[in-house]
Amino acid sequence: MLLFLIRRLILIIPVLLGLLLLTFLMLRLGGNDPAAAIAGDNATPEMIERIREDLGLNDPLPVQFWDYLVRAAHGDFGVSAYSQRPVGIDILDRLPATLELTIVALVLASVLGITFGALAGIWRNSIFDHTVRVVSVAGLATASFWFAIMLQLVFSMGLEILPLRGRLPTGWTPPPDITGLYLVDSLVTGQFATFWYAFLHLVMPAVTISLGGIATIARFTRSAVVAAMHSEYAAYEQAVGYPRRRILMPYVLRNSLVTPVTQIGLLFGAFVSSAVAVESVFDWPGLGSYLVEAIFTSDFNAVLAVTLVIGAIYGVVNILVDMTQGLLDPRVAETM
Amino acid sequence: MLMLKKFLRDVPAVLGLLIVVIAVILALFPGLLVDNVDRVNRGDILQRLKPPSPDLPFGSDDLGRNIFDRVVMGTRSALTISTLVVSLSMIVGVPLGLIAGYRSGWVSSAIMRVTDVFLAVPQLILAIAIAQILGRGATSAMIALAVTYWPFFTRTVYAETQKIRASLFVEALEGYGASTTRIMLFHILPNVAAPVIVRATVGMGFVILTAAVLGFLGVGAVPPAPDWGLQISEGRKYLPVHWWYATFPGLAILFLVLGFNLLGDGLRDLVDPRLRRS
Amino acid sequence: MKFRQFLLAATTCLAGSMVHAQSTIVWGESTPKGLDPHVVYDVPMQLFMLNAYDGLYRYVGNPPELTAWLADSHTVSEDGLTWDFTLKPGITFTDGTPMTADDVVYSFQRLLELGQGPSGGLTPVLQPENVSKVDDLTTRFVLDKPYAPFLAVIPLVSILNSKVVMEHEVDGDKGTAWLASHQAGSGAYILDPETYKPLENVDFARNENHFYGWDDNPNPVDVVHVPTISENSTRILSLLRGDIDSTDGYLGADHTAQIEGSDNAHVQRDESMRIMVIRMNNQKAPFDNVDFRKCISYAFNYSGFIDVILGGQVARNVGPLPGNLWGVPEDVAGYSFDMDKAKEHCDAAREAGVEMDRDMKIHIQAHLDQTTQVAQLMQQGMDELGLSLEIVGDTWANVTSSTASVDTTPDMWIHWVSTYFVDPENWIGQMYDSQFHGTWKASSWYTNPEVDTLLRQAREETEQAARAELYKDAYRIIVDEAADVWIYNTVAQRGLSNRIENFKFSPVGSGADFRWISVSD
Repeated sequence: MLLFLIRRLILIIPVLLGLLLLTFLMLRLGGNDPAAAIAGDNATPEMIERIREDLGLNDPLPVQFWDYLVRAAHGDFGVSAYSQRPVGIDILDRLPATLELTIVALVLASVLGITFGALAGIWRNSIFDHTVRVVSVAGLATASFWFAIMLQLVFSMGLEILPLRGRLPTGWTPPPDITGLYLVDSLVTGQFATFWYAFLHLVMPAVTISLGGIATIARFTRSAVVAAMHSEYAAYEQAVGYPRRRILMPYVLRNSLVTPVTQIGLLFGAFVSSAVAVESVFDWPGLGSYLVEAIFTSDFNAVLAVTLVIGAIYGVVNILVDMTQGLLDPRVAETM
Repeated sequence: MLMLKKFLRDVPAVLGLLIVVIAVILALFPGLLVDNVDRVNRGDILQRLKPPSPDLPFGSDDLGRNIFDRVVMGTRSALTISTLVVSLSMIVGVPLGLIAGYRSGWVSSAIMRVTDVFLAVPQLILAIAIAQILGRGATSAMIALAVTYWPFFTRTVYAETQKIRASLFVEALEGYGASTTRIMLFHILPNVAAPVIVRATVGMGFVILTAAVLGFLGVGAVPPAPDWGLQISEGRKYLPVHWWYATFPGLAILFLVLGFNLLGDGLRDLVDPRLRRS
Repeated sequence: MKFRQFLLAATTCLAGSMVHAQSTIVWGESTPKGLDPHVVYDVPMQLFMLNAYDGLYRYVGNPPELTAWLADSHTVSEDGLTWDFTLKPGITFTDGTPMTADDVVYSFQRLLELGQGPSGGLTPVLQPENVSKVDDLTTRFVLDKPYAPFLAVIPLVSILNSKVVMEHEVDGDKGTAWLASHQAGSGAYILDPETYKPLENVDFARNENHFYGWDDNPNPVDVVHVPTISENSTRILSLLRGDIDSTDGYLGADHTAQIEGSDNAHVQRDESMRIMVIRMNNQKAPFDNVDFRKCISYAFNYSGFIDVILGGQVARNVGPLPGNLWGVPEDVAGYSFDMDKAKEHCDAAREAGVEMDRDMKIHIQAHLDQTTQVAQLMQQGMDELGLSLEIVGDTWANVTSSTASVDTTPDMWIHWVSTYFVDPENWIGQMYDSQFHGTWKASSWYTNPEVDTLLRQAREETEQAARAELYKDAYRIIVDEAADVWIYNTVAQRGLSNRIENFKFSPVGSGADFRWISVSD
């Protein structure tokens, strides 16, 4: 298992390097001028030229890429044109917000998706089953940014029961920075009011992001439950006279979980994608809105670093999924 | 015939097909619902931001344009983008998948490693970056989406090809001395067609959604194009008073993508009974 | 260390105002990109500069009055070359260090040597070595040649605490890395660096010991939160719900209507100096033809845009200077929406052999609604003339870097010219003197030797009445040649909560100078 983990981790490195090269080439060949972005409004051509020289932008591309790699290996991702701070610091500042959002969304999607899916599978062809099916197909077809705006329209602007934007009310002091996840930090330090507000602010963004996930997980859980219930083993146990609940819990559900868990891993990419637009709608100070801003301000260093970070997280999540799969299904574990 | 019968019994899939067919008809002949197709970008500025009424079923926007007309015209741009992106991705992705799956050795692994790199980060992120670099506009959005979508076809085709290649009939053909190209084109390709078609149908929906995000973020279609994502981002600025502006284009996306997804599910059931939604 | 000072300031605030609790406001405006006032020079920077830093002079009120601020007074030599500025005695920085001429010299030299931010207005006439200390309070500037707008650009230069900045210098960067997220000044408000998250939030606490004193303001604001809110509609709802106390100053008619009906907020309207322009690349065919440019100028529906879309809340501005500034000739009527005249001029251009059938492009700043609306109206007008105009979504960073050469400058693009300093030089001077070609302000690539001469004379002439005449002459020529399409001069519209009193607008910084504001509770 450990060997498997190490091997998989090493395998990510060439992929990340490739990703970095890809983004690097695209950004540099695209005709954006990072020097102009850094120089900002009201810069004269001479200022821009000097910055370009300082940043080594006049060097040949391979030299620039190598320089970038060497610095990145030392944890130096350059300075953001937007904030004029090291990109690493900006990312560290913003990563927890995105993590909190995606984790909550992932939990939400798993809990709701597995519950709805399992119930739909158990009560096959009931009204509940049909409703879940219709809603989940629609959920997958909804543009998340639009759904976010509609939630704002109804719950913040219309009913005024949920906050419109941000992670906390404006001016509210964030909890002490322990993990950066407001829910955890406020709970640990006993700031229950902060916890409550942080929770309220999370509701709409997390629901939006998890929407597609709930739908996918519900669908896969449902078919897995149906298949497991029809399997010979379940039929046997039922024939022998085990109570229905005993069959459902340990056997059917455990075997049905393998597929949804795989899906959860695949979903992570979808979550990060919708986080980009959804964070922008809710002014959520995470990596997604940072990336959008970075792209609009031609913030070259920020775009590269964020892509790399997302790629790395994405890779790690996929490994975790494979390992969980191994825990749930001994057959998969053997191949590790 | 049997297939058709089976398909027709699948109510949701037929519904999906119906939505898609209607959308295609509207995209080809928007004049059926829109009075003056050429003037869809023109507005009467004095009639701006009017709520829905019999004359203006979806209301009017900030430049006094008829939102209903623009939503209908949006079908054309959504379908054009998604069709082109999916075809381009197929043109690139399918042959690569065939080659990688059929050959072994460095060609195959080189192709699959490049695919890995493209799949190492969510498509949208890569697409935003590429679209921004190419300069805003529907064309760059399209190229960006195609550049990030082809690996999915490569993956699908690669897996299928490997399966078929291991089968007896390919060995037999090789034994007859059939050329590689011939085997790939006439024997393997038809066998991978079904999963590719399913992938393409679902992909249409996926591309429409992603293109809408690009439009929303301002890296896709450019005003005054009646693009749905763009309309939502413009309409958002007039919430909550002028709620209709952002609402209807979003519903249009929902319906069209729903159509493709339902159709895709139906097709999948037909060609791959294993994945059957019992 | 800095944080402890902040805490200290915050606690003194508390202790000093036991009578009433701390007053807090939330200001919903954009924060600048980076906090170093010698590096960043954009409109949001004014908000930070005006509160965290002071200059020798400051623009106060509307119309903006150039007021001696840190300086007690200044003198100019007969030839207009030598300028002496004397500091008011007893000024301290926020850390308690007294301010001396050394800090002034350091600040100007740092700005000039970095060559970024607002240095563009000074580098042609002032060399770093020509800034020197006369005595503890007096600083001398010797210009290379007479430069009338010199005093007008003085407020752009923030005076830094040289000791603190030098302490944080790394590898000869003059402290830029550190100052990008910290403050080292004397301003009326103190930044809490712990709360500074770019694009998210920044907090300020009042500086009890600010040199100007607080006697004029019985209920000053003690703490200001400035959160980043990306969307105007969100900002307005937050204001209506009482979550924030101010929006930014760029509200449109659709938004002000919402605020007007509210019980706890109102709209503050102030005539500003910020003109909206459609630039034309005067060196690219067919825009190199005067008749063609006139045709375009007549084909824009000015009143449709100003009266209908913007609800008549801005004033038409017919030329390259804000109508409320000096140097504007009264006898220029400018262009109006007149399709007959437009056709006449286009026909004339066609007869002269101008090829105008190509697809022309207008670049908009995709995030700014008004640029989209203007582009679409322009497109409708040109469409009627049989001209094809394509709208290209773009960003500020991208367009401004493309304006470095004629070939990459778009056919047309849309932007505003805000008040960086209050002098015609800020608009007409830097927009149409050919020596500025390659900067975004001069992106119409307009070239007319006669105008160049007039503008250069105006720059060296010290008498304002004489300068005004020179600018008027240049203005007439530029408008007659339809160098660009000028649309309106902004009336700043800001949503304010009713708690805010004594809001003092100025075209420089649009009134985000917190020290004048009082709060009632």
